[in-house]
Amino acid sequence: MAEISFPLPDLGEGLIEATVLDWLVEPGQQVERNQPIVELETTKSALELPSPQAGKVVRIHGAPGDTINVGEPLIVFEVPDDTAGIVGTVPKDEAPKRRVRLSAVLDED
Amino acid sequence: MMTGRHTMEQHRHTVEGTDPGLFVEVHEPATDAGLRPVLLIHGFSSSTKLNWVDSGWITTLQDAGRRVITVDLPGHGRSHSPEDLDSYTPSRIRADLLQIVTDAGARPLRDGDPSTGLDVIGYSLGSRLAWEFGATQPDLVHRIVLGGPSSADPLAAFDLVAAQRHLADGTPIEDASTAGLLKMAQMLPSNNLFAMLSLIEAIKGEPFDPAEAAPHMPLLLVAGEKDERASTMPELASIAGKRGGMVETLVIPGRTHTNVITSRAFKEAAVEFLGV
Repeated sequence: MAEISFPLPDLGEGLIEATVLDWLVEPGQQVERNQPIVELETTKSALELPSPQAGKVVRIHGAPGDTINVGEPLIVFEVPDDTAGIVGTVPKDEAPKRRVRLSAVLDED
Repeated sequence: MMTGRHTMEQHRHTVEGTDPGLFVEVHEPATDAGLRPVLLIHGFSSSTKLNWVDSGWITTLQDAGRRVITVDLPGHGRSHSPEDLDSYTPSRIRADLLQIVTDAGARPLRDGDPSTGLDVIGYSLGSRLAWEFGATQPDLVHRIVLGGPSSADPLAAFDLVAAQRHLADGTPIEDASTAGLLKMAQMLPSNNLFAMLSLIEAIKGEPFDPAEAAPHMPLLLVAGEKDERASTMPELASIAGKRGGMVETLVIPGRTHTNVITSRAFKEAAVEFLGV
């Protein structure tokens, strides 16, 4: 197993930080990609952040009320070794679904 | 992140006068619960995206099997910023909303048919519009959820002259509420400042008077514990209660006017309240 750490992403509109309102996941929990993980407040609005990754939550950074800068660690996931190292999901090496039938073309001659 | 299909359009069906070019989306659930559609009305200087999409409301409602209708108010989000003041008046906005939900398939309530009628969720200025919409459309609106509601009207009390002077030459604005609202209006590059001020001017011509017309259908009023604008929520509850309507209130601990919107407790209460 490997760990992947995700920083607070760029939230657009020139925002440089966000305050944690509430975590919606906890360490040890298995989460799906795009599942809401945390409620954040910026100077402009409040928002839910979807999970960038499927996996088991190892650590979360920031308690409710704490401010996190864009680029600072937010959440760490544990993932199987073969999916580590890249952001997002990796296509699995599966046997090709399309079967090609090779048939000999008999020489009529 | 949408779990179902959704369609979008620049609303073209005009009620009267000029076309305000309101941006409408219908968000379909993956599995339809067979209940009436839900109209969402966002707050001042916000948008469908900020108020309802980024905060997780659309997916929450879709997951509950609800069909959701969203609209950006004039001058907000992806809607046009009309030049005529009439497009911004609350009465004109309500007429446009009625046309929009009708075009999106909402039908008058019929006893025993849960797919008829319309549920409405409003936030802040959207709550004011939802209150009036419910009061004027009793045959259509089934239930209403009001977020961050106020019986007062901070937009009608806005000092437009001071704001315009401030924008022209930087003269400080004395009234704290006016200064705060103007700062809010300036914060989002996607919102047109001229349109924000037009909306305020139009609202000053039709200030909110909750006692003038109150909804009779069941209401759920929700506010953050630290929401100063919603400190008058009990007054709204009392006005609606006196008209015989069923009123529930919910205060979310620790939350403010801005950050109550993402609250799970708020969403869960709304889904449950509207899920009948």
